[in-house]
Amino acid sequence: MIEIRFHGRGGQGAVTASRLIAEAVAKEGKYAQAIPMYGTERRGAPVTAYVRIDYRPIRRRDLVHEPDIVIVIDPILSRKPSVAAGLKSGGLLLLNYPTPPEEVEIGGDFMVSTVDATTIALETLGRPITNTAVLGAFSRVTGITKLKSLEEAILKRFPGEIGKRNVEALRRAYEEVHLPKPAKGPLRPREEEPPHVTGYGVLKSVADWRVFRPVVDLEKCVGCRLCWIYCPETAISLVDEKPIIDYDKCKGCGICVHECPVKAIEFVRESV
Amino acid sequence: MEKLTIKDIPLEEYTITPGSACQGCGPALAARLVFKALGDKVIRHGVPSCPDSVTRTPHTFSVFESAGAALTGISRALKVLGRDDVLAVGFIGDGGTYDIGFQALSAAAERNEDILWFCKNNEAYMNTGIQRSSATPLYAWTTTTQVGPRGRGKETPRKNLPFIVAAHHVPYVATASIAFPTDLIGKVLHAKRLRGFRFIDILCPCPTGWRFDPSRTIEVARLAVQTGMWALYEIIDGREFRLTYKPKKLKPVEEYLRIQGRFRHLTDGEIEEIQRMVDENWERLLKLDEEGEFPL
Amino acid sequence: MTVEVMVGNKAAATGAKLSRVQVAVAFPVTPQTTIVEYLNEFITKGEMDCEFINVEGELSAQVVVQAASRIGARTFCCTSGPGCLYMHHPMHDTSSLRLPVVMAVVHRGNKGMQPDHTDLMSHIMTGWIQWYVENNQEVLDSIIMAYRVAEDMRVRIPIAVGYDGYILSYTAEPVDVPEQEEVDDFLPPYKPTPSLMPEDFDPKAPLWWRVPWEEHHKVIVDAKEVIKEVNEEFGKRFGRSYGNGLVEEYRCEDAEAVIVAMGTIASTARDAIDNLKAEGKPIGLVKLKCLVPFPYEDFQRIGSEVRAIGMIDRNVCLGVGGVGHTFIRNAIYDLEERPKVLGFHAGLAGKEVKVSDIERMAEKVLKAARGESVSPLVEWV
Repeated sequence: MIEIRFHGRGGQGAVTASRLIAEAVAKEGKYAQAIPMYGTERRGAPVTAYVRIDYRPIRRRDLVHEPDIVIVIDPILSRKPSVAAGLKSGGLLLLNYPTPPEEVEIGGDFMVSTVDATTIALETLGRPITNTAVLGAFSRVTGITKLKSLEEAILKRFPGEIGKRNVEALRRAYEEVHLPKPAKGPLRPREEEPPHVTGYGVLKSVADWRVFRPVVDLEKCVGCRLCWIYCPETAISLVDEKPIIDYDKCKGCGICVHECPVKAIEFVRESV
Repeated sequence: MEKLTIKDIPLEEYTITPGSACQGCGPALAARLVFKALGDKVIRHGVPSCPDSVTRTPHTFSVFESAGAALTGISRALKVLGRDDVLAVGFIGDGGTYDIGFQALSAAAERNEDILWFCKNNEAYMNTGIQRSSATPLYAWTTTTQVGPRGRGKETPRKNLPFIVAAHHVPYVATASIAFPTDLIGKVLHAKRLRGFRFIDILCPCPTGWRFDPSRTIEVARLAVQTGMWALYEIIDGREFRLTYKPKKLKPVEEYLRIQGRFRHLTDGEIEEIQRMVDENWERLLKLDEEGEFPL
Repeated sequence: MTVEVMVGNKAAATGAKLSRVQVAVAFPVTPQTTIVEYLNEFITKGEMDCEFINVEGELSAQVVVQAASRIGARTFCCTSGPGCLYMHHPMHDTSSLRLPVVMAVVHRGNKGMQPDHTDLMSHIMTGWIQWYVENNQEVLDSIIMAYRVAEDMRVRIPIAVGYDGYILSYTAEPVDVPEQEEVDDFLPPYKPTPSLMPEDFDPKAPLWWRVPWEEHHKVIVDAKEVIKEVNEEFGKRFGRSYGNGLVEEYRCEDAEAVIVAMGTIASTARDAIDNLKAEGKPIGLVKLKCLVPFPYEDFQRIGSEVRAIGMIDRNVCLGVGGVGHTFIRNAIYDLEERPKVLGFHAGLAGKEVKVSDIERMAEKVLKAARGESVSPLVEWV
């Protein structure tokens, strides 16, 4: 049995990716389980999903705690050592990350492979929905499922133009993925819970929810207070009538960027 | 309502952030604006719904169908304990207001319970994953009003709940929008000073459920008002009617509908039908506004 | 103390009045309706300082008392049969939030207007303490005692006081009404924990809190000791108490067999037992007052002292059996020597239970106690 854990953020399609793998391997005559983590998913919030694959029917109904493979479809989460919590010795950490595996900061007795799925998704889909690109990398690196099976599963789920573009993302990632190297980074996963947000309440920081960050040009700002009043998370406070952004509170929704009447706020892609 | 400018809006915040709502969440902003205006003498009540923003207020919760009853219990207990200085405030979704909570809402309104009820209206059950409510507008796609050979989205227009509540002869009913914060806060401040049953229905776009980019939450909310899809008004004592936003000319509804994925499937004919509906409704509202009287 | 001839529903309303209930809520349903009218009368006459809310249904009634109790008011509500069933959903929260709500349930089955215990027993898993009482005096006294138990910081669990519709609700009999000062001495004012007033706001308080299952279960099990204490203290102050608060053993000395009954059947059974005792038959009565928490220890002791037990259930858990019968069998299973436990379904849908019916059931239990074979072990009377 092979066990996989996915990490992503609500809206990137981690749960869908787990389903697509299950459908693809089922086409090849194998058995699979695709399990979304219990609880409600929030757009932007870290989420978890699991997949099990075997040659015979799968009966166990617990969650995956010691995966053979961890797949992280979000580049910011790919910096967190906790994504590799419980990963088996000799296992694979597949990251959506813009640099080759040698530059990944997470280290341990497992292999690491990277693919710049965000760039691929932005260029093929126009949106940072990275799940299908990461699956292309998964197919190439693990050989667990054929690219063709994944293509069929994608086209079945997303008929028409959207499906075609997702297949393009899948294929590009298949070609562009950096093959596995031993994980030599300085940050070791500790025995902690992998990142997952569900339900209700106040969070410490939502900095890792962002793909883009708003940056204020104080010279251009006319002090109209609109960005301040429209921020759902009170991430913007006013100092001498000018907005100051608290990036621990900013989820990167972009309302302030969109509403600024003098275009004084720029949306800049988060560096990884 | 009170007339305000953006500079009159208090700087003090009553939400504890960041919360666990989605990026660009309309209800999260509605909570921020409402509780800013209410201040700290508040007990906040909730029923199952999406998270919006946690507030610096004591909070209670009860089962989905029960907001009207729970707010009654809170308000009456405050009265019997001699704490009339504390407001019983409901911050309830459209499911808990328009649908499963409707019976208890109507009963509390009829008894004119001393409570403030805010409906954070995102026009569907979003917590369970975008199912239609009776606040969902005509032809909107949801996961239970799908689009296909045998479906064009929701088959009927939404329930006119503010009018229904006003028909209970309560002291104050208003509609509001997160895109018009001075209008919204002006209404909250006015309602706060009254006693009895007060109801404000706030349209709060949901990027996840309405299928638009989170950066456009305010734009969508603004267009709802500018196109007449969501008119801003207040009804006092079930008698006086006043539009609080009255543009010389409404924008075409197409501008509002075309930027949301939930309306992506609409034909030109369907858009025209919605336009006609909105035009007729707007004419009626203008007439009520002119006469200043709510027809009961 | 004054004696007044009153119906069961007035005894319930009077119990609420003497307990200085601050928020009372109900929706009329036969045979509970006159409680609502008595409360309205007390309040209108100025005898009772209470917010009374005419809600639009029982579900709302339950939620109003839940919310008012959370804020800090002593609350009372009352219902019957279908209304009792309609309340089910929020009753879970009243208990999970550990709120000391007291509710009178005027039993009515759901196959007509007549009484049986299936209404309240449908709520066994809601985490409410359940008492079943036998006369109008016990109705009044139990409501006062219920507040004392429910508000005890070791308990903080809601209590339902059940009594049979019609048989008590509309039957008048003399009731000793305690003086207000005596009740005030017995029942101190209620204070909520934690306080929900804005000045006490605690930002660390959890947003959505319900007591976890295991702790919830333990609190209710441990409430048995508090119920016993309160029953005993009530006895000292008012000169009346009800067995040990959980069960009452009536003429069980030297008994080789006992009949177990609840509510008004227990009352009728007293006469049947007296008649059989007069004939020298070794039988006694156990009145089961507190169904939840179930008095396992009492039944283990009783089970080790007799050779046969006959449980009269005014209920049926369909497809399973009598609730009391099942629980008693569970209680005695671990005894080295177990008595026979016979079951009787009697009085469902208000079917009359006569003294002679109970005598016949008792004879069957005695037969089993003598080691003779009896069949069936469970019967419908």
